[in-house]
Amino acid sequence: MADKPSGKAASVDREAKLVDPTQGIPEPSYSWRGLTNEWGVKVLPGAHGLRLGDVNVGSYGEVPDYWADQTRRPRGSVGRPGIPPLPYSLRSKHELWADCAADLYEEAIQRRWIPATEVPWDSLEVLPVDIEKAVCQMCTELSQCANTELEIITYWQDRMSYGYFEVKQYLATATFDCARQQEVLRKRALSNGGGLGIESRGRVNRIILESSGGWTEAVVYLYLLRGTYITRLLSGLLSAAHNEAEVFIYSHMLEDHARHLTYGYDHLKYASSHGKDATLIMQTLLAVGEGHMAAELNEGVVSTAMAIIFGGGIEGARTHGMERYLLLVRDFITDYLAICQELGIEREKTLHPVFKRYLENE
Amino acid sequence: MSEATEIPREHELDTSWMDNMAEWGVTAKPGKRGLTLADVQIGSYADLPAISDNMTGRPRGSTPRAEAYRVGAYQVHTLSEIWLDNAEYLYEEALQRQWSSATDIPWHTLKPLPDDVEEAECLLCTFFNEVEFVAGDVPARWIARTTPDYLEARNVLSAQVMDEARHMDVFRKRALANGGGLMRMSGATSGFVGSIDLARDFTEMSTRLHISGEGAVLTMFRMGELFGQNDAEKTMYRLCAQDEARHVAFGVMHLRCLGDTAPERREEIECYLDEAEEQLIAGQQNPAGRQSESSEALAVLLGGGSQHYDEGHKKLLVIRRRQLKEYMKRVISAGFTDRFENGRSPIPAQYAATA
Repeated sequence: MADKPSGKAASVDREAKLVDPTQGIPEPSYSWRGLTNEWGVKVLPGAHGLRLGDVNVGSYGEVPDYWADQTRRPRGSVGRPGIPPLPYSLRSKHELWADCAADLYEEAIQRRWIPATEVPWDSLEVLPVDIEKAVCQMCTELSQCANTELEIITYWQDRMSYGYFEVKQYLATATFDCARQQEVLRKRALSNGGGLGIESRGRVNRIILESSGGWTEAVVYLYLLRGTYITRLLSGLLSAAHNEAEVFIYSHMLEDHARHLTYGYDHLKYASSHGKDATLIMQTLLAVGEGHMAAELNEGVVSTAMAIIFGGGIEGARTHGMERYLLLVRDFITDYLAICQELGIEREKTLHPVFKRYLENE
Repeated sequence: MSEATEIPREHELDTSWMDNMAEWGVTAKPGKRGLTLADVQIGSYADLPAISDNMTGRPRGSTPRAEAYRVGAYQVHTLSEIWLDNAEYLYEEALQRQWSSATDIPWHTLKPLPDDVEEAECLLCTFFNEVEFVAGDVPARWIARTTPDYLEARNVLSAQVMDEARHMDVFRKRALANGGGLMRMSGATSGFVGSIDLARDFTEMSTRLHISGEGAVLTMFRMGELFGQNDAEKTMYRLCAQDEARHVAFGVMHLRCLGDTAPERREEIECYLDEAEEQLIAGQQNPAGRQSESSEALAVLLGGGSQHYDEGHKKLLVIRRRQLKEYMKRVISAGFTDRFENGRSPIPAQYAATA
């Protein structure tokens, strides 16, 4: 039995009956019928629903190495000659691809969270002023990092060809993640008797935002160099969280950030194995980038703020707080070198001297 | 074993930044809807600069540093260019109403359809797969160009980028899940002068994208119950309509704000509306428009098959009529009523002709 039309449907039915018959109904051309490259596709949902990667079947799953089309033609659909191009400048697969993009897209959607209602804000309790200042300063710093990530992704996003839509879609989730990170950090800073701190000088933000030669170059700085450090910062903050609200915030930021790094490392892996001289270029970029990162590490703001958080106040910061932060930096550089090695980028021999000093710190 | 106590190293600390915190002593409290962005618009942190001098990407309200690098060459740095009064609410709503095309669509309700109906649905899905991410690509570009001082508005645009990715994805999934496939692209959103993509001003872009483009699509999505052939499709259109309504609201509220705060730009906005109205029913960007192939497909779906094309076409005319009516309501709500009363706009006449 057919469903009874709802209010909206019934009202359209009524209005349709009143359409002036003299208006005439144009004869349909049906010129679009039968125009397909592949028909008869029937993808069924699996245990995790119908995922983006599931519909990569037949010709629809063929991802070419070069996508010449500068229109918004969906991959696998029939083109139309004479369409003016759009300025899609990233048209080679090695410039943006990561095999995991479709999976990360679905994961980001499944793991969405809502700062307003899911963070247990009522668990916040007044902290000693020095610790509150340190937490608020870290919120300010990390918010600016998220802002840089947001701005560089959105700068590149509309330059990426439709042929690699999985990456565009994944990056849409990363865009949203960055906006949420800025939001939640602002909320934390302004909800416990504190306020925002002083802005970052922005050395590393600058090299990320100025890497306009290609998206891969931005990824080298954004994820391999700075992102690896941010993971360690977030892990450190999580381990020293003062209340359930902070536990929730840092653990969820870490989850988001882990996805971003997964894309970043996976893309660099693809780029290094498919792009001409890619690893040599990455090596050069990192040699320069390490210098900026080293200068940023040597600035006192983040190190002191983290030491205060680790040390439970200024006094503890002078001793075990700072020691713990130095170990954090050592762990970051160890991670960084391991990933470089995995990607085939030689960094150990010519590692920046400041990085070496942090590594040697026992 | 030595019993000597290990004395930890003592480190010098640079605590000068602790004397340079921004406004201190702020305690925003969560309300009925949790701790929202509106709740943290408090004290000086709520102060929105009419013209932003933030060229370093610092969070609004934080303490500036004289030696910070000017890395943000933000094109949009005047409040009236992008602001809207309810941005924080739209953003929070977007967070609350996220959905998953993988698990929230009842895909199991898809059943084999007659060939003409499946082809019509697949053509419509191809159209949406193609055009939905215009509204992702373009707002993304404007996020990067907008000062973070206007973070509430930027965050709404970030949510829109996310929404559009999901729309692009759900229509692709539908096209490939029921024995069909993608069909021929429309080319409706390519690089023509006066298109959404090529606008060099945010409000011009928003007028085209949010008010006319997405407005027309919103009316159509709301009619999804009529042309959806099963619960999967009806759910898909309903959820997309929910998202689209937020995007349209952004455009309406921004236009209202601009009209109030920058009256010198009203005539320019009227010109964008003139252009948009020429294309509203005639243009290819409206899937129910007179020139688009997808309107034939819609008539097939609305009629329940090509044998009932005429009945379907009559319903299509009703949808077009609603698109015109809802468009006028939005423009009136944005504060541009005069154009419908002084004969400037062709829409009232078009609307009357469809009666």
